[in-house]
Amino acid sequence: MDIKESIESVRRQFRSDSDPFPSDKDSLENLKIKFLGRKGLIANLFSQIPNLSNDQKPIAGKLLNQLKIELENSFPSKTESASHLEEIIDRSLPGVIYPPGNKHPIQSTMDEIKRLFGQIGFAVAYGPEIDDDFHNFSALNFPKDHPARDMQDTFFTKEDLILRTHTSNVQVHLMEEKQPPLRYIVPGRVYRNESISFKSFCLFHQVEGIYIDKNVTFSDLKGTLEYFVKKMFGSKTKMRFRPSFFPFTEPSAEVDIWSEKNNQWLEILGSGMVDPEVFKAVNVDNNLWNGFAFGMGVERICMLQYEIDDIRLLYQNDVRFLEQF
Amino acid sequence: MKISYSWIKDFLDINLTIDEVAETLTMLGLEAEISTNFDELKEIIVGEIQAIKKHPNADRLNICKVFDGVNTLPVICGANNVSKGIKIAFSPVDSVLPGNFKIKEAKIRGEISKGMICSERELGISDEHDGIMILDENAICGQSLPDYFSTNNDLITLDITPNRADCFSHLGVARDLAAKLHLNLNEPDFSTLPKSSDISSMIEISMDDLKDCPRYVGGIIQNVKIKESPDWLKKKLESIGIRSINNLVDISNYVMMEMGQPTHFFDLDKIKNKKILVRRARDGEKITTLDEIERSVNSNVMLITDGESPIAVAGIMGGFDSAINENTKNVLIECAYFNPATIRKSSKTLNMITDASKRFERGVDYNAPVLAFWRIVHLIDELNCGEWIPDIMDTYPEKIETNEIVLKKKLINEIAGVNIPNDFVVKTLSSLGCRIYEKDDLTCSPPSWRPDLTRDIDLIEEVIRVYGYDNIKSSNNYTSIMNFDDFDPHHNLDKINSSLIGLGFYQVFNNSLQTKEEAYFYSNKKDLIEMKNPLSDKMTHLRYSLIHGLMQNIEHNVNNGIHDLMLFEHGNTFSYSDSKRLGIDEVQTLTGILHGNYQEKSVHNSKSKAFDFFILKGLIISFFKKIGIKDLHFIENEMDIKYFTYSYSIKYNNEMLGYMGLLSRDISKKFNFKFDDVYAFSIENLDNLFNIMNAPKLFKKIIPYPPIERDLNFVIDSDLTSGSIIDFILSKKFDFLINIVPVSIFKHSTLGLNKKALSLNLIFQSDSKTLEDKVVNPIIDGIIEVVSKKFNAKLR
Repeated sequence: MDIKESIESVRRQFRSDSDPFPSDKDSLENLKIKFLGRKGLIANLFSQIPNLSNDQKPIAGKLLNQLKIELENSFPSKTESASHLEEIIDRSLPGVIYPPGNKHPIQSTMDEIKRLFGQIGFAVAYGPEIDDDFHNFSALNFPKDHPARDMQDTFFTKEDLILRTHTSNVQVHLMEEKQPPLRYIVPGRVYRNESISFKSFCLFHQVEGIYIDKNVTFSDLKGTLEYFVKKMFGSKTKMRFRPSFFPFTEPSAEVDIWSEKNNQWLEILGSGMVDPEVFKAVNVDNNLWNGFAFGMGVERICMLQYEIDDIRLLYQNDVRFLEQF
Repeated sequence: MKISYSWIKDFLDINLTIDEVAETLTMLGLEAEISTNFDELKEIIVGEIQAIKKHPNADRLNICKVFDGVNTLPVICGANNVSKGIKIAFSPVDSVLPGNFKIKEAKIRGEISKGMICSERELGISDEHDGIMILDENAICGQSLPDYFSTNNDLITLDITPNRADCFSHLGVARDLAAKLHLNLNEPDFSTLPKSSDISSMIEISMDDLKDCPRYVGGIIQNVKIKESPDWLKKKLESIGIRSINNLVDISNYVMMEMGQPTHFFDLDKIKNKKILVRRARDGEKITTLDEIERSVNSNVMLITDGESPIAVAGIMGGFDSAINENTKNVLIECAYFNPATIRKSSKTLNMITDASKRFERGVDYNAPVLAFWRIVHLIDELNCGEWIPDIMDTYPEKIETNEIVLKKKLINEIAGVNIPNDFVVKTLSSLGCRIYEKDDLTCSPPSWRPDLTRDIDLIEEVIRVYGYDNIKSSNNYTSIMNFDDFDPHHNLDKINSSLIGLGFYQVFNNSLQTKEEAYFYSNKKDLIEMKNPLSDKMTHLRYSLIHGLMQNIEHNVNNGIHDLMLFEHGNTFSYSDSKRLGIDEVQTLTGILHGNYQEKSVHNSKSKAFDFFILKGLIISFFKKIGIKDLHFIENEMDIKYFTYSYSIKYNNEMLGYMGLLSRDISKKFNFKFDDVYAFSIENLDNLFNIMNAPKLFKKIIPYPPIERDLNFVIDSDLTSGSIIDFILSKKFDFLINIVPVSIFKHSTLGLNKKALSLNLIFQSDSKTLEDKVVNPIIDGIIEVVSKKFNAKLR
């Protein structure tokens, strides 16, 4: 018989033997041994190859290999066969557990703030955590020996450098380095020399924003922050702007949102029109350019979002806390 | 600042409810809170400090005897405004403060403390934490705080911003309300009385430096009768939490709270030389202040002297030796205007904050000393507590001029973004006290009590503030298209975070401030950045490494029963560097740690799988692959990092990205828990990594020809590493050889002494054809040859 025909005949035989496909382990094993075993039909065919003519050898080899793979693939893999055929598997058992991992809620909130401002064209800038008096205070119109400096209890290094009390120092760097128009938010870590309690930590994260352009108005400031608050806290959020004081903005506004739960207004943002003194300090022509700035504490917003009642939890990194977000 | 609504009514004909007033004030920029909802504080009670003595072992602490309505308890307190007889908010043992802070009986430096005297911040009432909260004198000891506040619903607490010195008085607050509500302001009686005498022989007033003290108004009261104040005055002061002392002191306090000007009464007969000289202190000078504390002063501090010795700390507190008492006969009234910056410096130097210093450092009205003087004279007459000698010494050599401000009408609307009618502008500024000349533009002279109004923008703020932020429509007319070079220079962090999280890591945030020991342990630097004014001795230095924070996280979690941890943090680490701006090197670092088991024992795994070096290495390789970096090299102990038992540097294209390894057991000595092996990795400079990640990526065609695999089994010296052999083979760049994977390592005595069998799986692939044996076989032979030669290896 031609080797090709022998191969075809084994294929036909397998098709008939395996229809229906055996459902118990023993007949399955027998079927496998008959065709794929060491002395099985396939092995038998392979043993005939050396006797063939040289031009037939590669063709037969190829065909035979194909058949072998075809047959092998017809059998379930070992584990499959075990589970299919032998036991009834308890699939109510838990899955194999892999370490879950999670983003820290501060990061989630910060990313969300970045995303929302990114949608209205605010790019992101960063700057140093340790800075000089000029960038953290003087250029932002905090005069030396002025009570405004008490608003932010400050850490000094031995060299009298400042652990920035806000990311507004980056505003100053940006205006020094780039020509308006500018539209940036500045996320980052800031420090306050305040005793640690459930509502204050010695450091936290801020996202500040600055928009410098021609003809920027207080009305634009309101529009921008309303957009943000409604996106962040929901379109039905009740909010208000109220007058406040920051040395580097004039007029200044604090933004509150109404908390049904606490039955009170909660401060979430500081903002205002950039003070002319700031433009002066960085040599930007205030007759040509003006703008607004705003800033918020990421932890505060994060705590409101998730109803976290103690800021220290954010820095304790208890897995039972981290896994919740 | 506490104000009483009924007191405001002295100046305004106003009918609003207290809630409406608070709301109006808030929307004017004077953040107001009515003390109503204190359910959280129901365990806190009114107490009275019956006695105070110094703590024997701590200078800054006092032991107070606090009466809680039933018992008298010892309570240790560090605030400097405790005094005998005041009523305070007392948190007894077992009570809970906001933030779930439970008060326990404590021994502080050897002395027992049974409870706590609270500040407003500790009670969650305000951010005031300069001292303890002082309650009304007529508060009932033992009453709960919510009950106390509910009987006291006249009180409004204002959070005054630093620019509004004028609102540290009822009159100032009333003036803002008048402007907003279009009401008339009825000022107190400041009317001047005729001079009919001359006191220049009785007292001489001079100032060393007119910058420090531009104005000093003096006058004399004779035949003084010190006695109790009438009830109306006592009640008024008590309504805002000030204790009545005697008629004169009460008048001084009353005037301060009414119109904002701090004043002081000296016992004239105790002023030697009949002289007042205002000057800076000399180094080494000493003065005992009214609170009976002797204070060393220096040239940062301004004094009132009698020409020689100090008799008061100017603008902050009177001197003990010149104070009035029940025997006082003649009184010198001081009403002065001091330079705000000078008082601030004094106050900071002495670490003393008083009602007077708070006002002076913000800048009081430089015309108010005269008004306050007349107010006092009228009150002394009304209360019949002495006779004014009809003369006033207004020592004011150089008049302070107010600058006129030109306000362009157009600018108001340009800033606001809406049209505010001109008559509203004029009316508002006038009612706030500005004098206005209207032509095309407005020319304004701001009032002397508003030192914060110096520029047109300040006036615009006043107008918009009174107009109401709520009445300004919102818009968003972004005019310019921005062209950013890099929308977010840290955008790669998103990928880094999600990659690590995807591998099973939790992200953490830790404190950047640590102890000296903690900071230096992870550094070989001589100097690390130290705080001049640390919050505590646990936070004196900026971190140089993120490892310690992560170790603390392990400690916390293990102590809470969570053993298996994969944590990472990215954040700045700090050191000095001469070449960097300000001499400071801030490096964004990424560090992760592994502790405990990677896989727990479960129904699926009969054994748990603890973290080991190969899991670390695999995680690192996967992490880098996820962020697009392949072909890393790991080099053992290249860097001598003392807190690693062993470490490998992580290299890409010969560039060092970071390191990883097993942390040294020495670290555990710093912690109170038994911990397992901790594996760690650290990427030292994320900017570096960002650059690599930002490199453009080009698609490589997928090769359609199948790879061929061959196994080689070498017997080699047992101290040879698989890595060294694989690297060696790869370095020879054999044709079509694309990868080598170690398959098994086998040790057995039959192999020979100090030998092992290493089985390698070699993978060949061509991008242009299917490889055949005849092509691969000679290459294999070549590989066997070089490996045998180089490593004295034999095929098994």
